[in-house]
Amino acid sequence: MDINNIPAPMQEQENGPTYDVSRRRFFQMAGGLAGAGLLVASCRRTPPSDTYLGEGDIALLNYLYVLKQVTVAFYNQAVATTYYSATQSEIELQIELRDQELAHREFLKTLLGKNAVKTVTTQMAIVNFSDKTSFLTNAATLEDLSASAYAGVIRLLKDQSYILYLGKMSTVDARHAGYVRDILNHNSFASGMNVLDSNALNWVTSPAQGMAQLGNYLETRFDTSKLPTF
Amino acid sequence: MNFKHIISEIEKTDPEVYERLSGRREMLGSFGSKVALAALPLALASMFKKAYGQSTDVVVNALNLALEFEFMQHTYYRQGTNTGSLIPAQDLPGFKIIESQEKAHVAFLEKVIAGLGGVAFRPKYYTASTTVHPYVPAAYDFTMGGKFTPFADYETFLTIAQVLEDTYIHAIHGQTETLQANNAVLSQVFALAAVEGRHAAYVRLRRRLAVGAAETPTPWIQNNIPPVPSLSFQKYYLGEDNTIQKSVDIQGLSNVYYANGAMPQVAATAAFDEPYTKENVMNLIAPFKKL
Repeated sequence: MDINNIPAPMQEQENGPTYDVSRRRFFQMAGGLAGAGLLVASCRRTPPSDTYLGEGDIALLNYLYVLKQVTVAFYNQAVATTYYSATQSEIELQIELRDQELAHREFLKTLLGKNAVKTVTTQMAIVNFSDKTSFLTNAATLEDLSASAYAGVIRLLKDQSYILYLGKMSTVDARHAGYVRDILNHNSFASGMNVLDSNALNWVTSPAQGMAQLGNYLETRFDTSKLPTF
Repeated sequence: MNFKHIISEIEKTDPEVYERLSGRREMLGSFGSKVALAALPLALASMFKKAYGQSTDVVVNALNLALEFEFMQHTYYRQGTNTGSLIPAQDLPGFKIIESQEKAHVAFLEKVIAGLGGVAFRPKYYTASTTVHPYVPAAYDFTMGGKFTPFADYETFLTIAQVLEDTYIHAIHGQTETLQANNAVLSQVFALAAVEGRHAAYVRLRRRLAVGAAETPTPWIQNNIPPVPSLSFQKYYLGEDNTIQKSVDIQGLSNVYYANGAMPQVAATAAFDEPYTKENVMNLIAPFKKL
């Protein structure tokens, strides 16, 4: 088999996230071959230059925009390959989760205008979408991050005209977090490691920590050197 | 009284407290030995007022509105968890968690308000013998004047809980911009609101999944849909069907997953919780309070 004929990973299309499906297909094709490790190594692209997140408020809003790109890609994959044993309610609500994340993503993209970072390439290899526990555990990770990200951003954001709107999204993401945690593990909607602090306030994630966590779901690498953080 | 502890608590919410108090810092250091203990609270309060100026009152007022909701919610949930077989065994741990988290929020808000030199809100009839801080059953009438029986059937208990949770979230969004002078407190209020969002989702999910449920609400607010009877609760959801955010038409944003390429209205509205003014929320919670 000529490795040059192996299809390149699907590139991001307008508004369409890249799924790990293409990678999976790739590995399935490669699976029958001995020396797959060698194949993978030889296919590794030269590291692309890191995407610059911007500085100040723009970097902070781009951080949320990247987060939303990841959650949309995540839920879109979940809708396409729903886990075994999903109830009718769960199927309906994961479509709503995807759509609300998409509303947030496009809202942030519109606000950022020409300062918006490019469409990211996601990397969902750590998620087994056909497995309920794997899907919901990762959903909880991403929603807990969402619920904790805004409080971090608002601490640093200079432009006060965003306060109201980030707040309006933050409680909706907290609703998402409460929901996915509860169907993962009943009554765990507001408890767990790094979920709440000793005052029963939601955990606050710093932008730098948030970008680092998102790295688990991203192929695109970012230059966060000018991202305000604490 | 440990005033150094108070300053360090404020420092957590406002890292610039020492700068604001600059010039007064030495005074702080010498407090212990030279100022009569009885005069300390007054001296501290006036010092903070000078440091933060007008904005302190605004911040304290916003925090006190949140505190009023926390007292009310804690009392509601405690009454519920203490009522015989009202809450099914599988959900009881969840409501006990909510009850204890609202209690922790009361303590947190009281601490911040005290740190700012403000006076913490107290419910009416706080001095009643039935009060076990912050549980103040004498202050509230959760039957809304005998219309509902939240402690007699679980369905009604969940309905009122949903209304209280969603209204509190509306109330917080109505206050966040008044906190803009203090980013640290603002951040903590965001963190507090997020926990209320988790609670709201839990309550709404219980209603959705109830066997034979007449309504199947989502964990988030679709359009401006109230629980039944809508005649009683529609006003708690007015404006939730807003689709314009920061001059952006959310329904006009593209959604490639639909044939028409547009964002469904349900998603456009559910993706954002809406702010209510203090005046509005005070009117909305009035039926839950005893005269």
